[in-house]
Amino acid sequence: MKEKSVIQKKICMLGGFAVGKTSLVKRFVTGQFSEKYHTTIGVKIDQKSLCIDSTNVLLVLWDVYGEDDFQKVRASYLQGSAGYLLMVDGTRKETLDVARQLRTLALQTMGPVPYALVVNKHDLFESWQVEPEMYQDLASQACLVIESSAKTGEGVELAFVALAREMLKVSKI
Amino acid sequence: MSVEAPYSEILKLFDALIVQVDSVTQYRIIGVVPSWYPSDISPGQSSIEPLEFVQKSFFLQCFLPEAEEFWQTHNQGTLPSGLWSEPNLVGDENYLEATALVQDDQRYLIIRSYQSELITLQPVLQKAREDHLAHRHERDAHKHQLAESEQIRDDVTAVLDHLELAMVMIDENNVVTYASPTVRHVFGIDTQRFVGRLWPHVLPLTAEHIRQVQEQRALPEGRRTSVVLSLKKPQKSWLEIEIEVHDDPRDCRRTILFLKDRTEIEDLRRQLIGQAHFEKLIGKSPAMQDLYQKIQEIAPVDVPVLIEGETGTGKELVAQALHRLSTRKGMPFVALNCAGLTDSLLGSQLFGHKRGSFTGAVSDHEGFFEAAEGGILFLDEIGDMPLTIQTTLLRVLQEGEIIRLGESRPRKVDVRVFAATHQNLQDMVDTGSFRSDLLYRIRVARLYLPPLRERREDIPLLSEAFFGQARAVTSKHDVREISPDAMQTLLQYHWPGNVRELKSTFEYALIHCHGPHIQSSDLPQEIHGSPAVFVSPRSSTRDEREEILAALEQTRGKRVLAAKLLGMSRSTFYRRLSELGISPEECSQ
Repeated sequence: MKEKSVIQKKICMLGGFAVGKTSLVKRFVTGQFSEKYHTTIGVKIDQKSLCIDSTNVLLVLWDVYGEDDFQKVRASYLQGSAGYLLMVDGTRKETLDVARQLRTLALQTMGPVPYALVVNKHDLFESWQVEPEMYQDLASQACLVIESSAKTGEGVELAFVALAREMLKVSKI
Repeated sequence: MSVEAPYSEILKLFDALIVQVDSVTQYRIIGVVPSWYPSDISPGQSSIEPLEFVQKSFFLQCFLPEAEEFWQTHNQGTLPSGLWSEPNLVGDENYLEATALVQDDQRYLIIRSYQSELITLQPVLQKAREDHLAHRHERDAHKHQLAESEQIRDDVTAVLDHLELAMVMIDENNVVTYASPTVRHVFGIDTQRFVGRLWPHVLPLTAEHIRQVQEQRALPEGRRTSVVLSLKKPQKSWLEIEIEVHDDPRDCRRTILFLKDRTEIEDLRRQLIGQAHFEKLIGKSPAMQDLYQKIQEIAPVDVPVLIEGETGTGKELVAQALHRLSTRKGMPFVALNCAGLTDSLLGSQLFGHKRGSFTGAVSDHEGFFEAAEGGILFLDEIGDMPLTIQTTLLRVLQEGEIIRLGESRPRKVDVRVFAATHQNLQDMVDTGSFRSDLLYRIRVARLYLPPLRERREDIPLLSEAFFGQARAVTSKHDVREISPDAMQTLLQYHWPGNVRELKSTFEYALIHCHGPHIQSSDLPQEIHGSPAVFVSPRSSTRDEREEILAALEQTRGKRVLAAKLLGMSRSTFYRRLSELGISPEECSQ
């Protein structure tokens, strides 16, 4: 029996620092979560194989360091990406501004590739400062808007799978 | 590719994988392959295909096209890839960086491990970000607390403002730390500049006011009293302020001043006092209000006035009030009691005499009429005036002139006469002891002063006034108030001596009082012995008729005494006799 071919897709994780990009990847790839914050330097590359609608996909996940005053995201990290997860920390509304800057960078570097807007840390919903009407501009262009929690796993799988499906759809066109 | 021994050792020190790019299809490895680089390159292997070289690294797969473009477009320079980590490739903690280099058409790809550098760099960055997060968390908490505090402050301020309670907080250095908005309303000054300044400099108080407040601040909280002060406002109006001095419950070094605008209350109090006082008369009962009204109506009309009322009701005070409100205010007010004087003495007192007109008349004497020229002559107890003098008085009133005893020359006088009596002059006319024509002449205007028992609601007000006067007279300032049981006793008594008796009762009580309150036991004995039957409200006409008959029987038909026993004025007593159909025969039985 002939082995099915695997489609490799690069996905960048973009967002301000400490929004939970590394935790989201870890939850998605290993199913684990750590309370300890561990800052990312440069880019950390991971992978996860999926079967989406009978298509084997290898998602190469580029967990790009969180942008802040110390580090600006290098455009070269984004090149060749088929899509990205644009992440916001629901408990910090200023991460919306960082997300907007990164969205602009992503458009300039990757073009209009699909992206999912992920509002993370839903487990801390009582402390949320972010309301849907505050990110309508980002949500209107996203293929998916999802409230997630790397801690509980809520919305994590769905975010990656939905983005991957959208990327596949775009690549077939 | 092998290199000479010294260079080989130097390259080892860099711990880098160096690849010379000969062509797009062939890479040459310079030196040794570091142990951390996972590849199938065997020791001593000098060349490798690019795809084979990058097959295990997703990162290099992405970077290589970028590097190739760089090599083709540049003659010299470097293109760093940025740090990356591939757990599947080199483990979690190993960070690499690739650099595309071109120099004199020689192209290289250098891959270095930054593991050792990051051992020191990563914790710094980690710490910086953790601190940033902690700082932000702390800032958010403070912002939240501040917002809550501001909300509470706004709420409290709104409540204080709604209550129109002005409040100033002062620290231990006399510096204002807070001033409620109402302070501005009270003083009409901008409170924006209050905070941070010394309170005596910002509150528009006099040095004496400030001293009083400081004096209270120095006292323990429990011993402080309010400072009440009057401030002159620029618009010529007065501001009545009560300042309460409190310690801040959170920090006793700080002080809270509550500034209460009592202007309206004081104005209302004055109005109330005004209603309860008229000249020197005290009373707010309907009877007294009616009397005040009549005095104001009669006073300006230049006619004689007859003032009727039981003894001790304050007839002379009424006469003085009439004088002060009359057009003759500022002119003499001469009072003469007609009781107990002989014809000649009273005649001499009233009209004056000529030297030698009678034994003892050693010089010319001006009478009271002349002394009162232009003003008022008050004739008290006119019912006791002998008939002969009544005749002369009538002529004086009709003609406006007097003749001194022993003279024949009339003297013009301009005097307004007020007469007063506790007797029923009409009865006296009936019995021939008072001239009717004089009565009609002197009672052009009439005023009736009700006895105290007919205006019991005034007893507390009068009591407070007399209590204050008696306390001042006796210097018993430690007696602070009248006890409820004493007041009850006062209210039950029938007061035959009227207001005068009430006044002397307080002088007696103050002398006998040894505590802070006047007790019922401090009052004179007769106040306690008042027969209840005569002071209790009458339950029916039948009861009253029986009471009157009983009183007449007790006084053996003497109506004046019976009226007194019942606590009635004579006019009331006679009116009740008529209304109850009690005949003269029944009275004398």
